[in-house]
Amino acid sequence: MADPAPLILALPNGRILKEVMPLLSRAGIVPEPAFDDPAARQLSFATNHAELSLVRARSFDVATFVAFGAAQLGVAGNDVLMEFAYSEIYAPLDLKIGRCHLALAEPEAAAKDDDPARWSEVLVATKYPEITRRHFAARGVQAECIKLNGAVELAPALGLCRRIVDLVSTGATLRANGLVEVERIAEVTSRLVVNRAALKTRPAETGRWIERLREVIDAG
Amino acid sequence: MTELERRALLPAGLRDGLPPEAAFEANTVERLLAVFTGFGYERVKPPLIEFEDSLLAGAGAGMSPHTFRLMDPISQRMMGLRADMTPQIARIAAFRLGQAPRPLRLSYAGEVLRVKGDQLRPERQFGQVGAELIGSAAAAADSEVILMAAGALTAAGVEGLTVDLSLPALVTTVLTKHAVAEADRVGLRQALERRDSAAIRAIATPATDVLDALLRAAGPARAAIKALTQIALPREALAECRRMEEVVAAIEAVSPNLTITVDPVENRGFDYETGLCFVFFAPGVRGELGRGGRYLANGLDQATEPATGFSLFTDSVLRALPAPRPPRRLYLPHGTPASESGKWRRQGWTTVSGLDAGVDAKAEARRLKCTDVLIGADVVALD
Repeated sequence: MADPAPLILALPNGRILKEVMPLLSRAGIVPEPAFDDPAARQLSFATNHAELSLVRARSFDVATFVAFGAAQLGVAGNDVLMEFAYSEIYAPLDLKIGRCHLALAEPEAAAKDDDPARWSEVLVATKYPEITRRHFAARGVQAECIKLNGAVELAPALGLCRRIVDLVSTGATLRANGLVEVERIAEVTSRLVVNRAALKTRPAETGRWIERLREVIDAG
Repeated sequence: MTELERRALLPAGLRDGLPPEAAFEANTVERLLAVFTGFGYERVKPPLIEFEDSLLAGAGAGMSPHTFRLMDPISQRMMGLRADMTPQIARIAAFRLGQAPRPLRLSYAGEVLRVKGDQLRPERQFGQVGAELIGSAAAAADSEVILMAAGALTAAGVEGLTVDLSLPALVTTVLTKHAVAEADRVGLRQALERRDSAAIRAIATPATDVLDALLRAAGPARAAIKALTQIALPREALAECRRMEEVVAAIEAVSPNLTITVDPVENRGFDYETGLCFVFFAPGVRGELGRGGRYLANGLDQATEPATGFSLFTDSVLRALPAPRPPRRLYLPHGTPASESGKWRRQGWTTVSGLDAGVDAKAEARRLKCTDVLIGADVVALD
């Protein structure tokens, strides 16, 4: 049965949005003009395809919207997907944008005489408590996490705790805050994500957009 | 704790069913069961609680982390409160009805309780309505239960139904055929779970190409099966694909409006299933309406018999249905003789009798959500 409601593609605000828009444009998706207007208060936007509309949200919320089927498609980093491990999200396509990695970092001075092999428990400030706990549990270390929503690099300097787990792209933020990377936890890129039930109940439409974006990515 | 909190608050994931939803739920369950009865499935009713050993045996083992337990003061053995009714039906089929002629067709409905809700279903108590077909390995058995479940959901009012078919043993067959190391299997299965082609490509094993091809084959049934038959699959896996094709043809012949998709790598929750499995979805409803598939029912001394069946989840099915129309209710003013009110009920009316004299019949009828009122000998519709 045809569903008249348009498919909703949820996009993350910020840095990723700038990288994802050229991909969408190569896939022939053009949002209405208000999308590029920084003053617009609108959160939902039509495109040149009547059957596809766009919404913008914070990156963690994109995954939530797609997991619950409020948006059928989305763009989310695999850091977010790993953190929430939502069972209802499929990540069929690596968009190869937003490339960075998740790393454990600590102050340069502390890193010198630290032996990670001897840890039995660690205290870590991070936006990613689940990934951090799982990562350390897998090597038999108990991780106590302090959940922060931003400015994670400040934590060691302010004495909140010695170690952080955060996204690293160039390493400049770490260096500026006197931190060094001690362990690489996971590679991160943005993925095209799709709600499981939407993929099953609207296989032709969702499949078509996934294929179109796949062609764009494969063409480089 | 406030007085209101102490007396009104329910534990997380539990709720009171109220009018009209509670009646609508009961009616929906009856309509689903009526379809199963029509197909010759006979109703069974296992107890709410039973010994953990029997509840969590075989296919029930996966429910262990979800099961509430309590000690039986009489036998001093641990009991479990059912988190899934399927193992109970399997137990009945193996022992209580072990001598009954095969194929055995059983249906059931009841509430289950789980220790924790999950992201999609915060409810800890919800209803299951299902059927099991035990003792037949025929493809006709697979298509019978799928068509019956789809027919029941449609009869209950679900529109735009999709059935997603899968072969949970397929991935294991491929991994074994290509002798993939145990360490790589964990990563591959996680990547398959996410349908993450990039992550599969990142783990180089002899099975990687086949797994990625399986992943890409998913989609509308006809195209997916065509794609599957072009993949270099082990012989037993190809036989399963041909069986799936047969079932798809049987479903299409009877239910041309049912959307059929195939997902060759679907494995979630199908730990004990051995053959063709299926999940039902409806547009705009998060999560599954129901699921089922082929398994081996265990009897005594490792005896097994082929079986298939499914469970529908009442809460999800209700989410897929339009809101119920309020029923017509006839207000009988105070003083209407009992013989008279019985006459209206025999005609199919729901009647609400006035208990006190001296009230305005129409106003009272409206206040009590009646749609009609009896004035003299006439039924007068309100508004």
